[in-house]
Amino acid sequence: MSLEEINLIWLEGQDCAGCTISIKQASNPTLIDILTGAIPGLGGLKLAFHPTLMFEWGEDAAKVLIDAMEGKYDPFVLILEGAIPDEGKAGEGVFCGIADYEGKLLKLSDVIDGLAKRCAAAVAIGTCASYGGIPHGNPNPTGAKGLLDYLGRDWTGGLGLPVICVPGCPPRPDNMVQVLGQAVLAARGLAPLPELDEWHRPVALFGSTMHELCPICGFYAEGTDAHGFGETGCLGALGCKGIISHCNNTTWVDGYGGCTGTGVPCFGCTEPEFPDPPTSPFFAKAPAMPFIIENITGMLAHAEMGFERFKPIIESLLPQIPEFIEVLDKQMEEEKDKGRKI
Amino acid sequence: MVGEREITIEPITRIEGHLGVHAKLDTDARKISDAYAYSPMFRGFEIILVGREPSEAVMITQRSCGVCPVPHALSSVIACDQAYGVTPPPMGVTLRDFVHGAEQLYDSEIGVINLEGPDYSEVAIKKFNTGWWEEAQNKKAERSGVHGFATIADIMTALNPLAGELYLRSLLVQKTAHNMATIFGAKHPHVHSFVPGGIAKINLSVSDIESYLTLLMRNVAFAKELVAASDDLLDFVLAQGYEDVGAREKNLYSVGAYDDPEAYSANYGEMTDWARKRMVSPGVILNGELVTTDLIEQNVGVREFIGRGWYSDQWQQEVETDPAGNKVALEHPWNKRTLPKPGEYAKWDSKYTWVTSPRWWNWKGDGKNHVVELGPLARMWVTAKAGIVPASTGNSLKFELPAALIPGFKCADKMDFEWKIPAKPNAIERVRARAYYNAYSACCMLEKVMKALDLMKAGKTKVWTRYEKPEEGIGVGMVEAMRGSCQHWCVMKKGVIYNYQYQAPTTWNASGRDPDENPGPYEEALINSPITETGDAAGWKGIDIVRTIRSFDPCLGCAVSVHIGKKIVKHELLPFATPL
Repeated sequence: MSLEEINLIWLEGQDCAGCTISIKQASNPTLIDILTGAIPGLGGLKLAFHPTLMFEWGEDAAKVLIDAMEGKYDPFVLILEGAIPDEGKAGEGVFCGIADYEGKLLKLSDVIDGLAKRCAAAVAIGTCASYGGIPHGNPNPTGAKGLLDYLGRDWTGGLGLPVICVPGCPPRPDNMVQVLGQAVLAARGLAPLPELDEWHRPVALFGSTMHELCPICGFYAEGTDAHGFGETGCLGALGCKGIISHCNNTTWVDGYGGCTGTGVPCFGCTEPEFPDPPTSPFFAKAPAMPFIIENITGMLAHAEMGFERFKPIIESLLPQIPEFIEVLDKQMEEEKDKGRKI
Repeated sequence: MVGEREITIEPITRIEGHLGVHAKLDTDARKISDAYAYSPMFRGFEIILVGREPSEAVMITQRSCGVCPVPHALSSVIACDQAYGVTPPPMGVTLRDFVHGAEQLYDSEIGVINLEGPDYSEVAIKKFNTGWWEEAQNKKAERSGVHGFATIADIMTALNPLAGELYLRSLLVQKTAHNMATIFGAKHPHVHSFVPGGIAKINLSVSDIESYLTLLMRNVAFAKELVAASDDLLDFVLAQGYEDVGAREKNLYSVGAYDDPEAYSANYGEMTDWARKRMVSPGVILNGELVTTDLIEQNVGVREFIGRGWYSDQWQQEVETDPAGNKVALEHPWNKRTLPKPGEYAKWDSKYTWVTSPRWWNWKGDGKNHVVELGPLARMWVTAKAGIVPASTGNSLKFELPAALIPGFKCADKMDFEWKIPAKPNAIERVRARAYYNAYSACCMLEKVMKALDLMKAGKTKVWTRYEKPEEGIGVGMVEAMRGSCQHWCVMKKGVIYNYQYQAPTTWNASGRDPDENPGPYEEALINSPITETGDAAGWKGIDIVRTIRSFDPCLGCAVSVHIGKKIVKHELLPFATPL
């Protein structure tokens, strides 16, 4: 397939538009850079459908979806924001309709079914679209699930890629443009494909925990806990879930914000279980096991780190030891001689 | 049946969430004869909330809407303050308002320029109101000294989606307002720092406030252009016979915003007092008359009917009186019990939407339930009429923004603003009020920055009050979101949420017919509204309908939420109540 022109079809399911509001803040590149084709390699992208941003409405908007299902927008990338409800639970009603076409309400799930058959790639933006997020919170009233579950882990798009997930509630602005950007560059043979983890998150962005990247992790290392909000210290006792959350929110965007750096405990909003345990109760302490494991492995690692750091000093002293012993021997001899003289 | 056409518009794009409109058009008289607004999406937030810590509602409810999360967080945290009985320190209140004000700035810029703007852009005018274009090209823009556009047509061109100068610059400026919110909110959308008793912000320094102020000045500079360009454009459109498009009666409702940090308290009984000290006034206007500015009276008057919503009701009078001793109606959200009951699509004479029908009960006055409109027009109107804040003259709001020479912005001088109460609420005046509210919010935040520096000087840097969480509590939080009043009600039992109800402004504005068959505000605004769209009636796309709906700046995500019965979801709890 020719990839000079690529359409983006961005659907909103059980969503809040928060991911859209977030991507509007991206800096590297900005959304405008992408849509105006200002970045070499990322040109030729057209936002064919986006409920919050597109000019068209009503029938004209619905027609884009119908045409896309019939192949008139090939090649296209399917982007989903928001979860997918189980319409089987809605009886004669509907939990998520997204367009009216000729008097018939198009359900989100029907449109996804139609588009998934022919899209070049599918990207789930945000925790709802990835894993179900807030709508799938206990007791999951609408049977909501994410795209990964809905299409299945074995599903692949036209380019041979499985569903790519960019979790976060919402994801950091730059995370979204970076993943979309890399996917497009990779499709055009200009960059490697993103490596994905077991939850289909790009490893380059989600390979570390928030605890590992935490800007105030030094307080944890030195053993200083905060016991109230506004107090400077590790936020673990206030409910921080950084140790179980795969995230890179050291600052939100442009160097401003960032959860733990501001003083806010991490709530694990990038995790598949969010907003249920172990990410919640939000203000309750994270499970102890990761800390215990970290402390044990940490002690051994610290010993090794210490040894590694002192090794040069020890090594620099070693050659001097025979000489030192010689000096000592000499002195001992001298002392003995003195004794003998007395 | 000569000259009648039905039109269904779904999706209505360039709004937050899922909204459709079904309308009947009288093509001979060129007006809308009937209209139904509906939302086809449901998630069930209130069901997910039951059994959790009330403080978790602060994090979860804001996720109903990514466009206006902060008013949800703020209303929710105020309800929690009351339920827990903890009053934050003045700096905590100020920093919460910093985040709130920042969000209002971005939200109004996006609303006026990027969501509503394209409907008045060159692209739209040439397509739908072909007659206007030539006149717009010849019409000099009165305020071009401020915004730099010579003619009205130039402003229209600047609004072209993804190409126009205003459209693109607005996208860049709104980023700075998000940055302002993240300094104290950690991230935005969905700020994580709002906690009962204050705000979670460490290492607060003067440089945090300076960063905020620096970014604020960019928005101050943009506000001048935004208001001047909006005034020129909207005056032109009004003159094209737009006076009655989207018009409805003067029934308006505001709960106010931007608290006085020294006056705010978690005491429900003092709410009337501290709410009147807000920089944006609370109040209800019925038939053009201001009937109250008492927030307690407003709270007691809230009634939420099922109306044409896909729910079955199950009322239970569990709360007899509010904490101040006023009798609470059966349909008050503290008592509300609702069950989702999905129904068939497009049954206009039966149930047709996921939105309920909240109405304001004038219990101290005529005893009737009123259909009231919420939004920037309503709160500017109330604030202008109430005469409480210094800017209020009784029929206008007068304020100024300081000089600021910032590269990339066109007006470096100080500028005086006067927003005047218009003849009637209509589509154009709603957009204009949104632009002016941007400028007024910038003005309020400038004052708040000075207040924050005063607090710093006085050493009042505490951001959070320690508390012991009680077992039982009740609270209400009410604050203005961009598109109108955001109201949260919490009943806590055994330390967890027993009942949590919330209403977004769009729950009111997008509501369908109530039990008395009165249409909701969107529907009222559409019914009898003239049609200006050019071309053959069979090909009409409904530009006047979408302009009217978008003038309310809908946000459907939050409008649709529901509580289910008394079921307590088992949830393992750890005592956050008293942090270690």
